[in-house]
Amino acid sequence: MSLLDIKNLTLEIDSASGWIKALDKASFTLADGEIRALVGESGSGKSLIVRAIVGALPDNWRITADRMTWKGQDLLSLDQQERREILRNDIAVIFQNPKQSLDPSCPLGEQLEEVIADNNVEGRFFWQKRQSRQRIAANLLHKVGIKDHRLCMQSYPHQLADDICQKFMIAMALASEPKLLIADDPTRGMEVTTKVQILKLLTRLNQIRQLSILFVSHDLLAISSMAHTMTVLYCGQTVETGPMEQLKRRPFHPYTKALMDSAPSFRKDLPPKSPLLAMDGTIPTLQHLPIGCRLGPRCPRAQRECVKMPEVRRVHSHYYSCHFPLHRSNKA
Amino acid sequence: MIPLLAVEDLSYQQGRSRRWMRGRSQFHLGPINFELRAGETLAIVGENGSGKSLLAKLLVGVETPSSGDIYLNGQRLTMHNIKQRCLNIRMIFQQSNESLNPGITIGSILDEPLRLNTQMNAYERNEKIVETLKQVGLLPDHRYFYRHMLSDGQRQRVALARALILNPQVIVADEPFAALDPSVRSQIVNLLMKLQRELGLGFIFISHNLGIVRHISDKILIMQRGMAVEAGKTDTIFNWPKNEYTQKLVNSHQALVGR
Repeated sequence: MSLLDIKNLTLEIDSASGWIKALDKASFTLADGEIRALVGESGSGKSLIVRAIVGALPDNWRITADRMTWKGQDLLSLDQQERREILRNDIAVIFQNPKQSLDPSCPLGEQLEEVIADNNVEGRFFWQKRQSRQRIAANLLHKVGIKDHRLCMQSYPHQLADDICQKFMIAMALASEPKLLIADDPTRGMEVTTKVQILKLLTRLNQIRQLSILFVSHDLLAISSMAHTMTVLYCGQTVETGPMEQLKRRPFHPYTKALMDSAPSFRKDLPPKSPLLAMDGTIPTLQHLPIGCRLGPRCPRAQRECVKMPEVRRVHSHYYSCHFPLHRSNKA
Repeated sequence: MIPLLAVEDLSYQQGRSRRWMRGRSQFHLGPINFELRAGETLAIVGENGSGKSLLAKLLVGVETPSSGDIYLNGQRLTMHNIKQRCLNIRMIFQQSNESLNPGITIGSILDEPLRLNTQMNAYERNEKIVETLKQVGLLPDHRYFYRHMLSDGQRQRVALARALILNPQVIVADEPFAALDPSVRSQIVNLLMKLQRELGLGFIFISHNLGIVRHISDKILIMQRGMAVEAGKTDTIFNWPKNEYTQKLVNSHQALVGR
């Protein structure tokens, strides 16, 4: 059964020039125990999807969706209280910038103990409860690979390195024993060794605890090493969805291919210093979105039909939306 | 053959401890040695806080080294020929967004180094700006734009144009690709490699992205805690890393790529 099912999620923002569709019919599903990667460049609406799932969007934005369900429960029709209940128990989010999303005025230990739910705490009296909380917190920190938990609990966020703060965020997210972990760009700006550590940690959590992970990033290297399935976003439109291996081996959409080509490590046969294949142009701003397929103006295969939004087509478990996909020869 | 840029025993000690800084451990960089020939690319790799950015700053002269020498074409760079250094070693800063002045147009940003370092008149300067903008793949009209009107990739191009405008021999770039999106990043990588081929630039850059490092660099310098722990050809380092830290880096990169 799918844990999270999103179909045709559309998000509109009010602006001076009318309503802008920041997300245009984005859809994906997340199965139990799956690691799904959400890939896209900055401004493609990855973080908006995350915020739409947790409900952290301003009230004056319009969210519509054919389906947005959590274990069969419609998220959009729930009231505030019920939705918070789900978020409290089942969904945890690691936000983009660990140092900025931790409270700078309070030691890390306090922040971690605060998120431990009361029903996990043992003991009858307050001193027993306090000890129990501290024990749970220390265990969580050991689990994510922080050895010196005492030092870490006493320090403030600015005193620790970025990767430790990141691990701490993961520990905080795991405190409520969620079913789904949403990691919003957890490896940004990290050097390779710490990045690998964090990826290994997430993979292990997925294997041991059957934790589903929604991994939001644009670091393809990190994604390809851990994700099972991948969804590619471009300017708020889902461009291609499918199993990681298939997408990596044989992308159908020109944009996915361009993304894959941009990482030189994927291609072993590439001679050093040879030019990389690159797509012209840049990502359009929200005020100047093209109609139809938003990749249109940049796409090397674009033709006249591309001003209409292509329908989602499917080959086995591999969905794509393009009029002229790469596996079909140009027949125009 | 005289190398384009040679660095000998360069080291840097953080300034005299003032009273309120007493007790804090001081950062010590170096000694660092390397050579760069024309048309070569040197990548500097290392963990956060290992002194990579400081090394870049020492090369362009933002900071003065406490000992050691930098030779440009065999000539020692000191305070006396700072002008020459300004003309020949240019820098691209870490965040191209913040390094461009938001209050003046791109044209004025590019005009500044020309005004300060050359004897060109206004007409010649204008010509040069247009030429450089075209060189980095922008339009002449972009000189009337302000920073906020450009996209990330275009800003990076402007930062590159500012570095190129004095026809330097060496460009030092501090994480030029970190803030860019994948599809724009390959454009900039291609542009840099093209310019390097055409102009014979020496290019020194700092990066975390080992995939790109492997692709475009000829030599690598690996730094840890202010020391250069390993240096050599890209191929050698990726295939036969000697130092423990280098091995760790390369292995984790391979682990990401391999699966």
